[in-house]
This record gives sequence, structure tokens and C-alpha cells, in this order.
Amino acid sequence: MDIPAIYTDRLTKSYGRTLALDGLSLTVRPGEAYGFLGPNGAGKTTTIRLLLGLHHASSGTALVFGLDSWNEPVAGHRHVAYVPGEPFLWPSLTGAESLEFLGRLHGGTDVGYRDQLIERFELDASKKVRALSKGNRQKIQLIAALATRADLLLLDEPTSGLDPLMEMAFRESVHEAKDRGQTMFLSSHELSEVEATCDRVGILRSGRLVDQGSLSELRQLSAQTIEVTFDGPAPELGRLPGVAVRATTPNSLHLEVSGELSPLLAELASHRVTSLTSRPPSLEELFLHHYDGTDEHDHP
Amino acid sequence: MSTTILSLEADRAAAGDLPRRPGVAPVLARRALRDARVRTIAFMYLFGLVAYVQPVGFRSAFPSLESRIAFARSFGDNKAVVLFYGKAYDLLTVGGYSAWRVGGTLAIFAAVFGVLASVRALRTEEDSGRAELVLSSIVDRRRYLTVSLAAVGATAVALGCAETAGLLAGGLPPGNSLLLVLSTVSVLWVFVGVGAVISQVASTHRLALQLGGACVGLALLVRVIADTANGAGWLRWFTPLGWAEEQRPFTGEHPLVLLLPLSFGAALLVLAVRLAQRRDIGCGILAPRERSTPRLALLSSPTAQALRGELVGLATWVGGAAVFAIIIGVLAKSTASAGLSPQLQREFAKLGTGSITTPAGYVGLSFLLFELAVPLFAVAQVSALRREESEQALETLLALPVGRYRWLSGRLALAAGGAAAVALSAALFGWIGVTASGASLSLPEMLEASVNCFAMAALFLGLAVLLFGIVPRAASAGAYVLVTLSFLWQLFGALLSLPHWALDLTPYAHLGLAPAQPFRPVPALILVLIGVVSASAGVAAFRRRDLAQA
Repeated sequence: MDIPAIYTDRLTKSYGRTLALDGLSLTVRPGEAYGFLGPNGAGKTTTIRLLLGLHHASSGTALVFGLDSWNEPVAGHRHVAYVPGEPFLWPSLTGAESLEFLGRLHGGTDVGYRDQLIERFELDASKKVRALSKGNRQKIQLIAALATRADLLLLDEPTSGLDPLMEMAFRESVHEAKDRGQTMFLSSHELSEVEATCDRVGILRSGRLVDQGSLSELRQLSAQTIEVTFDGPAPELGRLPGVAVRATTPNSLHLEVSGELSPLLAELASHRVTSLTSRPPSLEELFLHHYDGTDEHDHP
Repeated sequence: MSTTILSLEADRAAAGDLPRRPGVAPVLARRALRDARVRTIAFMYLFGLVAYVQPVGFRSAFPSLESRIAFARSFGDNKAVVLFYGKAYDLLTVGGYSAWRVGGTLAIFAAVFGVLASVRALRTEEDSGRAELVLSSIVDRRRYLTVSLAAVGATAVALGCAETAGLLAGGLPPGNSLLLVLSTVSVLWVFVGVGAVISQVASTHRLALQLGGACVGLALLVRVIADTANGAGWLRWFTPLGWAEEQRPFTGEHPLVLLLPLSFGAALLVLAVRLAQRRDIGCGILAPRERSTPRLALLSSPTAQALRGELVGLATWVGGAAVFAIIIGVLAKSTASAGLSPQLQREFAKLGTGSITTPAGYVGLSFLLFELAVPLFAVAQVSALRREESEQALETLLALPVGRYRWLSGRLALAAGGAAAVALSAALFGWIGVTASGASLSLPEMLEASVNCFAMAALFLGLAVLLFGIVPRAASAGAYVLVTLSFLWQLFGALLSLPHWALDLTPYAHLGLAPAQPFRPVPALILVLIGVVSASAGVAAFRRRDLAQA
């Protein structure tokens, strides 16, 4: 059995009275691309800081390739390339100097690939960092990270400053990394990005992992979306087990159904239904399901 | 965050869909004052303390007219003392003495505060991008600048009040006290103007502070030359610190001189507002070079890269120390003649500055300046570490295979090396100056003086690292306060006739003022050891804590 690229067990972190991460248990296997989803403040960055040993866990374990994040950070970092969400660099260095510096500190850079990436991301490497926009500073960090060919890419909202063209360049590079067998841990709230690049997804909410699995698994386990139109006023269906009403018009309903469909179908049989569509939930809907609406089952 | 709230409030107020709220100006001003409150309160204590201690101390140290005459005869013209505190016009009255000591000292602090306050309020806000946010609301540039400067003005008034309170509590008459306070505040006013103009010129917070520091240094240098070199008194009219002296509170006041700083400061402020209206926000008039061909030297380690960034700053420190030391050295020969009675020597000791009537004595006392400056340099290095952490560049570094120990110990070695270079520069160029003027002081004696500076720097570097490890967010301010307090304790303690154990609380009390007094290797070594132990504890604490953002 391979050593997991990332392994956490009941990883918990509180800052004073704020519980930022609450018992996170997570395994990312080598070669896997893991999407870490969650809204702002869910604990995504905290998780990454704990994995890097930048912050000290209140309890629990965090291992990177079997190396303890807090006790052996440097050994772990040799396998890791990190792209922070806020691209802070040294203002007086140029892009080229920054890449050189970061590359030397990492201890190994594929220079040919780096130059290829500079071209792909259209980075003007002669400009000083202080004269660069956020997106351009982010490119430097992305290029530096990708060019190390590190075993594990830790990416914390890496495309938040990139334009759509550069996002495509990013996806291309990530696929190259996956093809080479590199592991990726992508923290994001951009669902389309995660959908396009990741094999497995974990959804974090208020410091807890509320759902995890491959996209198809998540879709199966989660509620289906059903739209029903009636010939006449829409009936009240929210009290049926496993049924949540997402939206209502006078004669149609937008429902989310988890579990068995038969109670709903039995109920619908007694109404005059003019159309009925059913589809698996999009990632957006999965996400929203876990965020705004979770409790609708309890409060119809 | 609060700036966002502020612009929202302003927008709503403009749209008129809310009950009438206070205008934009008070909201902005409150924000600015809040940002400045720690610094302002610290300086208020300092101003109040200095203003109170001097009259009270003088009264108790020199109670009779005879003792004051003796003091004045030997002291008033002593170049070393003048170098520190400026020209004295009357040393027979409590008022005259206080005007000299309070005015001379606080003028320098006022200059530092003025530059710091206005650069922080203007350039730092712009550098951080917050100014852009404010200016995207319904506030225009002139209003923004005016409100920010008005907030600085309010802090200046607070300092003035603290100084007034100190003087009145020290038993000085209100009228003259007010003139003395005005002379201090006038310096502050000018340097707020200086900082405001610099904030328009320099594009980064750091460059602005460096330029501001250079202006204060230059003003001080001109005043020192005017007050100490024979026949150079006219130079006093060319420095705001000299204008403060020429107002002569308590000693035949020349309040009209006040017009000079008033109008000069106003001119600078008008210039700053003009410049601000025609330039791009976020940039300075001095556009930094935006691109360059890569120079790949000094990128092999975090320490090398830090050295690369600090080279200019370090060169400035070493050069500045050299210039100051040469001047002190050249002036050493012309100091007051030796042969003072033992009783008078004791009187000098009350100033906490040792014997100062020979060239060696003069140089020894003057080196007290470097014993303050070199530790400040060391603390500034720790302050830079902390900035790197709060701006999260450190996070990028430590996510690489760079250990915390390697990063911090490399940077500390750099700081210690820099401090040693500054101290050596002072000693070497002081010796060159002394030798050039024909006085005799050996190079080893001067090197002993630089060892003193280094020992002091090592101590405070260690303490600063300890603070950095334990209370990162308060480390920078805390370390500066420690250095300043220790230094002032040394200057004031003796005057206040504090008991021996209390005097010994400051590390400055334990060093021999080489070359005036014999060098004391054991205390110097102990200070270095305390520094090393504290630094080790600080490094250990840093390795155990979370990185702390701003």
C-alpha cells in the first residue's frame, strides 16, 4: 500500500475560542487530484497551513507523505509545492529573480519546463513584483510551483486572480501534472474549476468535512433535482419524507429528493402532472445543498 | 474592512436614504486617529515625562545659585553636552535649564514623530492600497489628504498637551511653558510637512521612511554643527531644530521666530496637496524602476536574499555612522579644557553622562549616541522580520524546504553582522576624525567604544527576538520601547538622584563609557550573553508557534 500523499486524522485547530477546523480526517492517495471545496472561512486555508506546519494543530495528526507536518516540515516540503491564495512576494525582485529564488530554495526546478510555463502564462519576467497585478503575481507562484515537478501540489485558490485564458493555461498545466503522476490538492470555491480538474471532492463547512467522494458518488448519494409542472395549482409536497422544495411558482415545483423516490411518485399520482424532469445535481447544487439549504429537510 | 464600511456609509449618506449621519470627514479622521493611537500615547508619555523630570530634577540637583553658577560655567559651553541637547541660553534658572533640556530633546523626538505620523497616514495607506479604496468613495483627494493631516494635527496637539502638563506639574509658569511647547510643536509641524511631501515623492512606505529619517538626520547634523563649531552659529537658521532654539522660551523669548516654522511647514503642506492632485494614486513622483535584467547573485538562500534587499539600507547606516563619527572626532579637540574640580566632576555625573571635559570624555559621551543608534538598527532588523511575517512572504518561504531555524538564525546573523559593521564604522571614522584634528586617541580605545555599541545591540537584538517568538504582534513596538526607555532611564536616572539599585536597572549603567571611562569587558560580555540566551529562547518559541498574520 502506498503512503498517502496527505493523511489527516481528527485534525483540529482552534484560534482562541474560534474553532477553525473540527476533526478533519482525510486521505489523499498519490496521483489523485483532490478538490477541497468550501466557502470563505470554512477552514480550507487553515487545513493547508496545518499540512505545511505553518500553524500548530490543537489536536489530531497531519502527515504529508508519512512525514509529520509539524515535527518534520522541511522533509515534507521537499515533496510539496505550494501556491498561496494571496500572492505575497518580494516587491524588489523581478519575476525572473523571484522564480530563480523560489526554485533554488525548493532545491530542484525543471528549467526547460519553467520557460515553457513562462511562455504559456505569458509572464513578463523582467518586471518587478511591485509593478505586477495580483494575477501576474499569482502566475509567478504557479509557475514556480509547477516547475518544481513536486510530488504534491498544494494549491489554495490559485486562480482567483487569473483571467479565463490563463485559467485554461492553468487547467492544461494541471492535467500535465496529473499525467506525470503528481498529486494535487486544490482548495477552491470555484466549482467549475474543481469539476474540470479533480477526481475526488471533499466539501468543508464550518471546519467539518460534510461530504466526500468522487463526483459521481456524490451525485448518486445526494438529492436528485426534480421539476414538476401541474395542470392547476401546485400542491404542498414539502412534508413528504426526503423531499425539499427549492422553488415554487403557482403551478410548478422545483424539488430536491434524497433517498427513495416512491413516496413522491405515489403522491404525484393523485395530481394532474403535465411535465416531470429529473436530473442528477450539478456540483453547484451539491454545494448549495450543503451550505444554505441543509436544514430544509428539518424545517419544511 | 472598516474602510469598506466607511465608503458604504458615505455612499448611503450621499444618497440620502438614511437619517443624516456625520459627514465623511469625521469618519475618516476617527479611522486615522485609531490607527495612530498606540504611537501617539507612547509619545505622550515620553513628552510628559521629559517635561516633568527636567525642572524637578534641576531643582533638586542644583538647589542653590552657587551650584548653578558653577554648573553653568563649566557646562553651558561644553560641546559634548551641546551636541546632545542644543544650545543653552540660561542655566541659572529652572526655566532656562528646562527650556534647554526639554526643548532640545523633545525637538528631536517631535521631528521623528512628525515624519513618522505623516508618512504613516499618507504613504503607508497608499502603499497598502487602502487609500485607493477610500478615494473610490465620495471623498476627493484634497479632502482625504486634509482630513488625514488634520488627524495628525490632532495627535500633535495631544503631544503638546502632554508636554504642557509635564511642565506645569514640574512647577513652571504657564506663559513661558506655552512658548516652550510651541517651539516643540513647531518642529513637529515642519516635519509633518516634510513627511507629507516625501509621501508624494516616494512610491513605497519604506523609501518614504528612509528619506524621512535622512531629513531628520540632516536637520540634526546642521544643528549640531551650528551649536558646536566655532563661528557656525548662523547655520542655526537653516534647520527647523535651530528655529526651535532661536525661539528662546524662558530666556528672552523671540516668539516671532515661530513664524518661520509656521510658514515653512504650511508651504510644505500646500506643496504636498498640490503634488497629490496631479499624480497617480498608488505611485510616487519618483517612479521606481519597473523592470530590469535579472541579477541572480544573492538568491541562494533566504539570508542571502535578505542581504540583497538590505544592502542599500545597511550602506546608509554605515555611511551615516561614519559621517557622524567623523564630525564628533573633529570636534573633539575643541572641547572644554580639562582640570575641573572633583566637585564639578560630580555635578556632571548627575547628568548620567560621566566625565566629559577631555577629548576622550567628549568622544565617550558622544558614543552614547551610537550606543542608542546601533541597538535601534538591530531592533529594526527584527521589525523587518516581523513585517515579512505579517505580509505573508514568510509563509511562502516556509512552505519551501526552508526550516524555521535556518531562516531565523540566518537573519539574526545578518542583523548582528550589520550592527557590528555600523559600530565598527563609527569607531574607525571617529578615530580618523580625532586624529585629523590633532587630538590623540588610540584606535584600540575607539574599538572598545564600538564593542560597547555592539554589546548593547546584541542585548536588544536578543530581547527583540524573544518578543518576536512570544508576542509577535507586539514585538516591534515593544523592542523599540525597551531601547528608548533604557536609554532615557540612563539620562534621567542620575539627575533624579534615584537610589543605586534603580539606576542599575538600565543596561546602559553597566558599561564603561569608553574611551572616557575604562572599558569594562565583563559587563559587556554579560550583556552579549543575555542577548544570546534571549535570542535562543526567542528562536525556540518561534519554532513552536503559529505564523501570525497582520
